Amino acid sequence: MAPPPSGPTQKDTASSAAASESPAPAAPAVKAPPPETPTAIRRRSYIVLSFWLLVVFLGLPFWWKTTTIYRADLPLDRMLEWADGKACRPAIPIQIAVHADSLQEEEANHLVRLAQHAIDDLNDFSGHHLRLQLAPRQDRPREGEHNPKSALSIHLKPGDATTAALDPYRAALDITYPLNSVPPLHSASSMLTTYIATELRSTFAEEQSIVSYLLSASSSPTSKPAGLSPAVIEALEKRATRALRYAPTYHLTFSLFTDGPAPTTWDIDTAINEYMKPLLDVLGPIHNFTIDTQVQLYATPGVQSQTLTKDDLASFINAAEWPLSPSIGGAPTINFLTFIGNQTIGFPDSEGQTSQSWMIPQWGTVYLLSQPDTNSHVPKDALRQPMLTFGGHLLTLLGTPQSGSLPLRLSSLSRIRSADLLLRASDTLGSLARLSRSLPSIAIPRNVADGVAKSIRHLEEACASLGSSEALYHARIAEEEAERAFFEKSMVGQLYFPDEHKIAVYLPLLGPVTVPLVMGAIKEIKRLLQARKQRAQEAKEKKSQ
Amino acid sequence: MTFRGKAGIYAIAVLLRLVLFFAFPGLPDLLTGRVEISTPVTSFKRLEEGLFLYNHNVWPYDGGVYHQAPLLLPLFSLLPDSTSWPIFTPLLYILIDLLSADALVKIAASGEAGKSRLFTSPRQGKGSTGLVIAAAFLFNPLTIASCVGRTTSVFTNCAILCAIAKAVQGFSFHAMVALSFASYLSMYPVLLLPPLVLLAYDKRASQKTSVLKFSALNVLVVAGCLSVLLGMSYALTGNSWEFLARTYGIQLTLTDLTPTVGLWWYFFIEMFDSFRSFFLALFWLHLASYVGGLTIRLRTQPLAALAVLLGIFSIFKPYPSISDASLFLGLFSLYTHLLPLMRYTYVASATLMYASFLGPAFYHLWIYAGSGNANFFYAITLVWSLGQSLLVSDLTFAVLRDEWEVERPEMVGKEAKQI
Repeated sequence: MAPPPSGPTQKDTASSAAASESPAPAAPAVKAPPPETPTAIRRRSYIVLSFWLLVVFLGLPFWWKTTTIYRADLPLDRMLEWADGKACRPAIPIQIAVHADSLQEEEANHLVRLAQHAIDDLNDFSGHHLRLQLAPRQDRPREGEHNPKSALSIHLKPGDATTAALDPYRAALDITYPLNSVPPLHSASSMLTTYIATELRSTFAEEQSIVSYLLSASSSPTSKPAGLSPAVIEALEKRATRALRYAPTYHLTFSLFTDGPAPTTWDIDTAINEYMKPLLDVLGPIHNFTIDTQVQLYATPGVQSQTLTKDDLASFINAAEWPLSPSIGGAPTINFLTFIGNQTIGFPDSEGQTSQSWMIPQWGTVYLLSQPDTNSHVPKDALRQPMLTFGGHLLTLLGTPQSGSLPLRLSSLSRIRSADLLLRASDTLGSLARLSRSLPSIAIPRNVADGVAKSIRHLEEACASLGSSEALYHARIAEEEAERAFFEKSMVGQLYFPDEHKIAVYLPLLGPVTVPLVMGAIKEIKRLLQARKQRAQEAKEKKSQ
Repeated sequence: MTFRGKAGIYAIAVLLRLVLFFAFPGLPDLLTGRVEISTPVTSFKRLEEGLFLYNHNVWPYDGGVYHQAPLLLPLFSLLPDSTSWPIFTPLLYILIDLLSADALVKIAASGEAGKSRLFTSPRQGKGSTGLVIAAAFLFNPLTIASCVGRTTSVFTNCAILCAIAKAVQGFSFHAMVALSFASYLSMYPVLLLPPLVLLAYDKRASQKTSVLKFSALNVLVVAGCLSVLLGMSYALTGNSWEFLARTYGIQLTLTDLTPTVGLWWYFFIEMFDSFRSFFLALFWLHLASYVGGLTIRLRTQPLAALAVLLGIFSIFKPYPSISDASLFLGLFSLYTHLLPLMRYTYVASATLMYASFLGPAFYHLWIYAGSGNANFFYAITLVWSLGQSLLVSDLTFAVLRDEWEVERPEMVGKEAKQI
């Protein structure tokens, strides 16, 4: 666009004080434009007004509505109370029913009272206490199932010497006592009560130490729980690292891997039904299980040597090639792997692993099954030992205490899990509360608040019913809700969004738009003020005339 | 303009389109798949999907692909089956193109571009004849491409042009009905209501009624028409208002981020989620903000306001395509008498050509060759929008300068930097 030869002319200099109404015929190069007509001025005001009306009446409400951060009210103090353990002192009462049908009513009462005293004297941890209770007399005590509320029942029977034996099939402790050891009324202590107390204490020792470990770990992760020896703590830590995180459902994968073309079939279905199913059924109230199986031929392990050393065990699983998916359908997977081969393990006496199998913490178990190459089928009987091993390891992987009879271990597991979940849910709530305190700009959707409320309600119920079977149910829901609230997707996205970012978001687009808008408005306001002044002046002049 | 000349032009246009449709059987489907032509809200492929569902008594929006107005479905299902009778769909589209061209001829014949009620251009009569304008529209490659690509924005364009043609003829009721159809099909034409009402008001034989009363009446007509159309759609889609969210809702919230020649898709791919709704509102407000200012500023020439607004819409609307550009260029050709006043015609046309040749190439590099990325295509759509905005602003400049020269006759022929 070349300039015309007539030289530059200047337009729109906005100086309305131009004197020349009619342009001179031979004007010099620079001349002021004529003043704007009133219609043009009015028109410009309208245009500026139309833009500003849009900004004020539509733009600002939209801005307000779309960028305000919705923060649902969270009961922050209450959540922190839970996290600090102030809202609930977890105390697991364990009811123990004493069946002493051979004793007199008064004698039995006295015995129970004395034994309770003895237990209380021994116990130094308030989170876990045993309560003895005399069971109502029954005509046929052996058949009477123990009260569902009580975790253990003691059957006192007269005998030759003081002995104690855990019933392997029921949560029951059979104690025999010589007749003369029954404490006479009004006596302060006796051999028998002390014996009962120590026996009970040793039965529940592991559970108690686990609970005390959990509680102390949750209140302050660095401090060691009081009253536990380092060896016990080490064992507890080992248990904690081995066990999988609690989940309502676990997925069990039974795999048969072989490095050759055989075997191609195995009787896994009947083997599971026969050896695993009973165990899974008793675990039913605590966990659900889903099961799948697979057979893989020509699977080369990560280690080829004939004798496996301790280091080899870690790398035996060929994670790159073996189709062991980490998780199917959300539930954590526990792998039980039977490997057909003639490899052996170098050190049979190490803890937790026999000469043929070893457990991989939080993952599963490998069992080396040697079998003649010609067999193309693995019969049920050959799978018996692997299955029993898997069953034992499954309990360990689920975090079941090691000592005691199976029913006792399971009820203990459910109590430990409910305490664990309770603490974990409280911890999550505390983290959420701290997060929302420290980030005032984070959005908190309504469903987070709902989740927190639900979680707290179930926490309260779980806390009140600790030790019973509902506690696990409530604690499970509380933990689920707390986790869901904490990991709400729309919150996580805005976890870090400082105010400087907002400038970067708004300015590039809105800056250029705002400048002409604001300048236009300022010009208009200036002109209005000037016009008013002028009018006032004119009015004054008129008056003075 | 002779009748024979007009008929000749129309015949050649029809013939050209028929040749393109049937001599190159792959061409229509190729063009239908191009993102420059088919947007999520105008694509013929998506229409066919909706049509299939509709004909099989499935709710047409169930597929999540069809986002167009429900009343298009009975229209297209009335046509004989396209597989056995492939002639009818092309014929319908060609007919629509001819109607659009005819509307443009009527607008040109009224001379509204040169002389409106409140303003007479000194260059009146120097513009192109209706014949040239019709030819420029019908033989515009963009128009042909959108016709052969069978986008449904062709219907919207036709409705808008008919509305303007009726308005310049003084039939305000017809104009409002046509605008309602356009708004029903694509929603954004409802923003054209203020200048269109003014245009119709200016063209009425007598100005006895006040502007306000006249506008209120026309707004009522549009509202009534729209409610009838929406009511029919309501009945058609199984008595539910769900279709509103699936048609206009998609345009308002831009949930389908398919690339187009516009500016929205890339911007909203990159947008922070928490600011998405704010910037959606902002973009729509930006689109709407031009209406008031331009209508007031170009009060004396409502047709020019309409042309400039359509140009702005074809740049800034959520799902623009080259079909919108062809509509703007059609109206632009009414203002050829202002060409001497424009400053950047060369730059603008070169930019547009550059973008229209490089656009498909860059899209190919991104999608098919894989040697480019989304930025390639976005960059070229920026150039395309730049070319269009140059043209729009230049047209605005020329229209204003034309007005200004009437006010200041002594400045004719001298250069002005700013008006």
